[in-house]
Amino acid sequence: MAPPRPTGMLGHMNTDLAPPAPPTTAAAGSIDAMKIYGVGDAEVRALDGVTVSFETGKFTAIMGPSGSGKSTLLHCLAGLDSLTAGATFVGDTYLAALNDRQLTELRRTKIGFVFQAFNLIPTLTADENIRLPMMLGGETGDEAWIDQVIATVGLKDRVHHRPSELSGGQQQRVAVARALASRPDIIFADEPTGNLDSTTGAEILDFMRRAVREFGQTIVMVTHDPNAASYADRVVFVADGKIDGELVDPTSDEIFERMKRLGH
Amino acid sequence: MAGSTSLIARKSIRARLGRTIAIVFAVMAGVSFVAGSFVLADSLTRSFDGLIEDLVQDVDLQVRGKNAFEDESFGSDNDPPAIPIEVADQLSDVDGIAVIEPDLAARAQILNSDGEPITVTGGMFGTQYQPDTLSGVELKEGRASVGPDELVVDKATATREGFELGDPVSYSTDTGIYTAELVGTVGTPDSDSFLGTSVVALDLDTALDHFGANGLVDQINVGITDGADIDAVEAKIVAALGSEYEIVDREMLIEEFQEQIGQFISIFGTGLLIFAFVTAFVAAFIINNVFQITIGQRLRELALLRAIGASGKQVRRMISIEALGVGVAGTVFGIIAGLGVAQLIVLGFNAIGAGFPSSAPVLLPRTVIVAAIVGIGVTMLSVIVPSRRAAKIPPVAAMRPELGFAAIRSRRLVVGTVTTTIGLLMLLVGLFVSPGGTFALIILAGGGALLLFLGIASVSATIATPVTRAIGWPIAKLFKTPGKLARDNVARAPRRTSSSASALMIGVALVSAAAVFASSLRESITATLERAVSADYIVQGSAGGGPGNGGFPPIIVETLAELPEISAATPFRIANAQVDDDTKTLTAVDPEAAAQLVDFDNIAGSFDDLTAMSIAIHDEAAESADLKFGDTTTVTFQNGEVRELQVDLVFADNSFGLNWFIDLELLDEVSGDETQSDVFALAALADDVDPEVGDEAVRAAFEQFPQASVQSNAEFLQEQEDQINQLLFLIGFLLLFAIVIAVIGISITLALGVFERTREIGLLRAVGMTRRQTRRAVRWEAVIVSVFGALIGVVVGTFLGVVLSQAVPENVISDLAFSPGIVVLILIGAVFAGLAAALYPSFKASNMNVLEAIATE
Repeated sequence: MAPPRPTGMLGHMNTDLAPPAPPTTAAAGSIDAMKIYGVGDAEVRALDGVTVSFETGKFTAIMGPSGSGKSTLLHCLAGLDSLTAGATFVGDTYLAALNDRQLTELRRTKIGFVFQAFNLIPTLTADENIRLPMMLGGETGDEAWIDQVIATVGLKDRVHHRPSELSGGQQQRVAVARALASRPDIIFADEPTGNLDSTTGAEILDFMRRAVREFGQTIVMVTHDPNAASYADRVVFVADGKIDGELVDPTSDEIFERMKRLGH
Repeated sequence: MAGSTSLIARKSIRARLGRTIAIVFAVMAGVSFVAGSFVLADSLTRSFDGLIEDLVQDVDLQVRGKNAFEDESFGSDNDPPAIPIEVADQLSDVDGIAVIEPDLAARAQILNSDGEPITVTGGMFGTQYQPDTLSGVELKEGRASVGPDELVVDKATATREGFELGDPVSYSTDTGIYTAELVGTVGTPDSDSFLGTSVVALDLDTALDHFGANGLVDQINVGITDGADIDAVEAKIVAALGSEYEIVDREMLIEEFQEQIGQFISIFGTGLLIFAFVTAFVAAFIINNVFQITIGQRLRELALLRAIGASGKQVRRMISIEALGVGVAGTVFGIIAGLGVAQLIVLGFNAIGAGFPSSAPVLLPRTVIVAAIVGIGVTMLSVIVPSRRAAKIPPVAAMRPELGFAAIRSRRLVVGTVTTTIGLLMLLVGLFVSPGGTFALIILAGGGALLLFLGIASVSATIATPVTRAIGWPIAKLFKTPGKLARDNVARAPRRTSSSASALMIGVALVSAAAVFASSLRESITATLERAVSADYIVQGSAGGGPGNGGFPPIIVETLAELPEISAATPFRIANAQVDDDTKTLTAVDPEAAAQLVDFDNIAGSFDDLTAMSIAIHDEAAESADLKFGDTTTVTFQNGEVRELQVDLVFADNSFGLNWFIDLELLDEVSGDETQSDVFALAALADDVDPEVGDEAVRAAFEQFPQASVQSNAEFLQEQEDQINQLLFLIGFLLLFAIVIAVIGISITLALGVFERTREIGLLRAVGMTRRQTRRAVRWEAVIVSVFGALIGVVVGTFLGVVLSQAVPENVISDLAFSPGIVVLILIGAVFAGLAAALYPSFKASNMNVLEAIATE
């Protein structure tokens, strides 16, 4: 499939040049991504030419101080927000080429989500929440796999409870299970442990790392917590809407040092 | 203190503009119907007043016959007896009289160019018309007619039927069918029509002749000479005529007419008002629900106010001020809209030919006051409970919203059950015991129904969850995840669901009650015909009828009875009379024919026994008049004739609602030369006549009588059914307002629900729900709510219909019947109502920006 030309505001990039084909090993990424809010003096460049790719089968953390653009990047990568210029892709699909229906389909089948809070539909049981993306597509999903996921997150005896009957940690585990259940190409997690105490947070992070190691799942996580980032295989730093280096297999101290330099 | 609360209230209204507009709209809708009903009644009164003033503008005095007594009951025929035309000659000798104009009104049916009777809604009559008439009848085109070969009709009819001056126009009267040349058209000074009636105007001699007046006129109008003293002229007339006649002046004529028309308008207006109050009541539900929900949504804000030092009282006052603002705005808009509603109703009625005079809307201070009481009152009442709830929000809820309503325990089921029971008792007492007359009946039955609705709305929250789950089951099966989400969302706020469904419940309940009532009525008419009537034909006056009580001339039944194919035929001719000083409606029949045609379940005697000296009485009526079989009683007719009559028949069945019968011969005898009118008639074919041959003969005989129509029993039933359906349709139409408001209410509630669930919808969209699925979920949620409301409505309404049917007298409704067809229609309608209600909320839900939705607090 020939990649389509990215659409964008004239002047922000050379529209004669199509972006290069995405690297084959990348599950997702962006090419010269620009996201600009406001005009003139009020112009804010949330993303200012971000080119990054996320390897298949890896756990990547995106870190940066508040307002660095890390969440905007995640949202654009996940098809929840659109770029002003540049391109984002998931697998071999450029998101700008998709209409709303196709984007929804992509989110349902190729992407998994874990948000910081409010991950679950209150009227549905844990089990139904886990199966929700499949149910919406009118599919039953891979029963054996779903059972395995539920067992792995340790929710076997809680699946018929509603979210209000689960603890915060349990709710996040259900959210992670949902993200895994449809075997998406990539899972985007937005501060998944931000609302949890450190012990419960560690459980979730550990589980996410196991999902990558044991099941070969690709996960991209936004966080501002060095400790959480240390669970990742690779940490990409974002500052002022630009990529500002990365660390591979970092410790939390290394990350902390790096963040301090970024002015966190 | 008051300043700060009102400031916050003002800001709050502004911040929630959409919701505020929605509530204002609900108030407006309720108020506009109430105001419109008053405006319409007042406008009609004023224009009718203007009309009568026009019509008698030059009549200084009127000479007419004297009634022996006045019948005060509504709609009764109090026309004075006719007087001989010779009275006019006696008047010509009286000094001070400039114009003497004998006047009469009679049946006259205009035929169209194909010879078919035209139909109008206001009645048809013939009268005399002369140039320089004292009446306000105004020549619109041409000239007055002279002689039997010319006529004048009202301009509205001429226009509608395409009659041009010079055209031959046919009309039928009690004496036959005539054709004459149209030489002019008339109207009132302000209108081409006389309140929707058709008019044949002839010169006096032709009128007396063609209308079969037997030398009698209804009244003689008198214009006095300039400068003459009216009292002196009146005294001279009395001196000339003696006391046999009544002389009234213009003021009296106007007053009499206004009283008559006032009765009609007040019944019409009251009818409209009932529907208007139903609409206001439904609006109250919506207002209450919206306030309830928004206070829930503003929990944190209100708790914060409490936390920084606002007292519970201040919070309550703040909500009340908000409500007051909304109520005032809704009332103002409602009054303005009411002027339009009144015009709309006039347009609607005129479209079906009512001929209401067009007039400027009349807005009396009374209308504004009632509108304000309804609009502001309804809003303030609706907000009592929500504002109390708001006042009880603990300050801690600012930090921990989940604690918000924990302290407020609901005794909804208890309160609801008690309210339902009290309402039911009031309703039953009102309908069946009816202490204290009509007023108490309206208060008890109306108030009872009101409480019943409130109670059921309250109780229905308890059954909302299981019932909506059941309604949602096929939807969840059919529409998978969106269907399931819809069903779950309905069940998660049972109180809100039942509240918005209840608004629809009220309208549907009233429609269903009317449906049961109508089916039972239809069933009863059929049963009556089968049980009591062995006639094959029913004769009625043609649509519209004539002056007085409508009806048709006696010649028709006389002709029918003479047909060899007919074995028996009797007219039913109504006369007012006093039986031992109590005014009764007597029905005169041909006893011999009646004995063959109707079975009134005789207790003592039979119709065969009736003579010109007899009276027949229904047993209950006899009992209350303290009369027994064989007794003699004094009967005074309206023209003053008195007879001693013997009770020769007591019967048990008054299916026709007729309690007193006399012999036709007797009525002929006391009426003299006065024109007679039959209200309806029954006839049976002889046994040895082939029904088809007989039918042909009967229908052929009626060709010369366009002023009446003959129907077989089946045709009669069909006509009754059509009329009942028309009535049902009218009721449905008047309830439409309430139903539309209820649907808007569901829409508002749903939109607020969507707003509350913004994050949830964002999440669903993020994990892969399409816009279409989102719309679908909201849409089916609305359908479940509206079907739930309709279901309760059908149940409550059917119950009310049964109660109502039982409450009316046996002779009107004897049998109960239901119409499953209407229930099915209502439920299908509810599905569409739900779909309509979902239009805006589902659009809103599906067009949410996913990212913003997820980020919402």
